[in-house]
Amino acid sequence: MRILFVEDDARTAEYVNRGLTEAGHVTDVIRDGRDGLVQAMNERFDVMVIDRMLPGLDGLSLVKALRASGNTTPVLFLTAVGGVDDRVDGLEAGGDDYLVKPFAFSELLARLNALARRPPAQTEKIKLQVGDLEIDLVRHSCRRGSVAIDLLPREFSLLTYLMQNENRVLTRTMLLERVWDFHFDPQTSVVETHISRLRAKIDKPFDRPLLHTIRNTGYSLHA
Amino acid sequence: MLKALYRSTPFRLMALLSMAFLAFLGLAGFIAFGLIRAELDARLTQQLEQTFSIIAQSYGENDLTDLVDLVRSNAAANPALERVFLLRGPASEVLGGNITTAPTATGWSVTTAAQLGLTADDEMYRIYSGAVGGNTLVVGASFDETEAVGSIVLNSLGMAGVLFVILVVIAGILIATRGQRRMDRIANTMALVGRGELAARIPVQRNRDDLDDLSTQINHALERLAGLVEGMRQVSVDIAHDLKTPLNRLSFTVQNAIESEEAGQSVATLLQQAQEETRQINMTFEALLRIAQIESGARRARFKDLAVAPILQTLFEAYADVAEENGQTLTIAVEPLPDIHGDKDLLTQLFANLIENAIRHCPPGTTIAMSADATNGQVFEVSVRDNGSGIPDAERDKVFQRLYRLDKSRSTPGHGLGLSLVKAIAELHGATIMLADNRPGLCVRVKFPQTNAATTQSNQFTDRNPA
Repeated sequence: MRILFVEDDARTAEYVNRGLTEAGHVTDVIRDGRDGLVQAMNERFDVMVIDRMLPGLDGLSLVKALRASGNTTPVLFLTAVGGVDDRVDGLEAGGDDYLVKPFAFSELLARLNALARRPPAQTEKIKLQVGDLEIDLVRHSCRRGSVAIDLLPREFSLLTYLMQNENRVLTRTMLLERVWDFHFDPQTSVVETHISRLRAKIDKPFDRPLLHTIRNTGYSLHA
Repeated sequence: MLKALYRSTPFRLMALLSMAFLAFLGLAGFIAFGLIRAELDARLTQQLEQTFSIIAQSYGENDLTDLVDLVRSNAAANPALERVFLLRGPASEVLGGNITTAPTATGWSVTTAAQLGLTADDEMYRIYSGAVGGNTLVVGASFDETEAVGSIVLNSLGMAGVLFVILVVIAGILIATRGQRRMDRIANTMALVGRGELAARIPVQRNRDDLDDLSTQINHALERLAGLVEGMRQVSVDIAHDLKTPLNRLSFTVQNAIESEEAGQSVATLLQQAQEETRQINMTFEALLRIAQIESGARRARFKDLAVAPILQTLFEAYADVAEENGQTLTIAVEPLPDIHGDKDLLTQLFANLIENAIRHCPPGTTIAMSADATNGQVFEVSVRDNGSGIPDAERDKVFQRLYRLDKSRSTPGHGLGLSLVKAIAELHGATIMLADNRPGLCVRVKFPQTNAATTQSNQFTDRNPA
C-alpha cells in the first residue's frame, strides 16, 4: 500500500522507510509539517503516519486541517510523550490510532495493516468465518465445524477482533486497547493468559490450529 | 523617609480621608455661619423695632420733652456707639442723639459709619428711621456683635480643623510606619525566596487582618513550592541513581557484543538482551513522565462522571484467569456505588496496579479479594486485600516513594513506580490511600470522597464492552 510518512527525525524516518519498503509498501517521507499537508491533500494514500512534533506545522494541526478539507485517509500519530492526554488530543483531532516512541517496528506495521484494512463506513457483518471457525455477531454464538463452542463475553470480543483481522498480526497492546480498553502496559501476562484460554477452546480439541503466536510481536488468526 | 511615607498606602489613605473630612468641615462651617448670622440679624432687627416703639410711645401730644429726654438718655447709655440714636425736628434740626446725621430715607437701611458722621472706618450699621409726630427718629445698631459671633464660630471650626489635620498626620505616620514594617517583612521574605532560600516564611502576627491572610496564603504557596522543588530534586537524584544501573548493564552488554563480534561469535542473544534492557529503561521513563503528568493536575480537565463498578468488573474478568494460572484466587464483591467524577483510563490503571502487585508479589495459594463498599451511599472505598507475605510496618510509607523497591536486590521485575502512580492517581481524584496489615497479608484501601457528581446510583454492572 501507499503510505505517507511525515517525520522530521532523519534516523527514525530512514529506519521506518526501510522496514516499510521491505514489507512491500511504497512510502513518501516528508520532513516538514506544511509540506506534509500539501502532499496529503494532493496525493492519494492508503494510510498516513504523522509525528506530533514537526517543523512548519505540528501534526495535530496538520490532521485537523486535513479532516476539515474532507480527507478521511486513516492517520496514525507518532509521539515521544505517551501521556493519555496526548492520545485523546490526537484522536479528537481526527487521528485513528496512536503510537508512542520508541516503538517496535512490528507494532507500527501491525497497526498500519489494521488501519488500512478498515474500509470507510464499514457495515458490520453478521457472521464471520475463518477456516471452519464461525461466529455469529448477533447471537453471540461460536462453532467450529459441527461443534458449538461456549465463549465468555470477553473471549468472544477477543475472537471477534482476531477474526475481523484475519491474516493480520495483532499486537498485545492492540488487543489490550481494543478488547479491555486498557491503556497501560500490564506487568502480568493478561493477554497471554486469555489467548491461551481461548486457544484451549477453539484450537486444542481440533486438528489444525487457527490462532498463531507471532514471536515478539503478537497474534494472528488464519486458516 | 518622607518619600517612603508618601509611598505608603495607609498614609495615602489617611491623607485622602483627612482631606475629605476637611472639605466637609468647611462646608458645615459655612452653613453654620450663615444660619447663626441670619438668626443674629433677625434678633437685631427685633431689638431695634422694640427700641423704636418704646421711644416713640414716650411722645405725648405736642410734648417733645419726654421724647427728647429718652433719646438723650439712650444715647448717653451707648458711648461706644454700639447703638446709635438721632432725633430730628420737622425742620431737620437735631433735637438729640449720639450721631448728628443719617440718611434721610425712612424704613430699614444699612449704612456705613461715615454716612452717620462717625469716624470708625469700616463699621456697618443697621438703622431704622421713622416719623414720630412731625419729627424723625433714627435708631441703629452696629453689626460688630454679629460679626464677632460669626468669627468665633469660624475660628473654632478652623482651630478644630488644624488640630484634626495635625492628629491625622501623626496617626497616619504611626499607622503607615507600622504597616510599612509588615510590608517590608513580606518584601524581605520574597527577596530571600527570590534568592533561592525556599525555607523563608513571612512572620504572621495573628491580627486576623488582610495582611495576615495574605501572608498566610503566601506562606502556604511557599510551602507547596518548596515541597515541589524538593520532590523534583529528590526525583532527579532517584532517576539518576536508578537509571545508572540499567544503563551500566546495557553498556556492558553492548561491550560484550562488540567483543563477541570480534571473536567471530554470534551476538544475537546479547543484542536481544540489550533490547530488553532498553525496553526496561524506556518503561521507567514512561512511568515517570506519566506520574509527572498526573501530578500536574492537567488531567482534571477531562474528568467525566463515571461508574466505578464496571471498571472493577472488567478488571476482575481480565485478572481472574491470570491469578488462577499463578495458583491464586481472585474474588470480587461490589456494592452499588455512587458515580464519581474522574478519569476512566487512570482509575483502571490504579486498580490494575493494585491487583497486579498482589498477583506478582504473593505466593501461590493466596486469595486476593477486590471489594467496594459505599457508606451512606456517598463516600466509598475500594480495597484490594491479600493473605500473602504483606509489607513490614516500617516499609509501608516508603513504598509510595518513586523507585522504592522492597526487594533490594531488584531481581523481581518492576520499576518501583507502580505505587507512586497509584498514589498520584488517587490524589488527582481527591482519594486517600491507606496500607494496612491484613493479618496476614496486605490490605490497600482507596477511599473516595463525597463527590457532587454522585447524584444517582449507578447501575452496578452496566454492560460496557468496548468491542
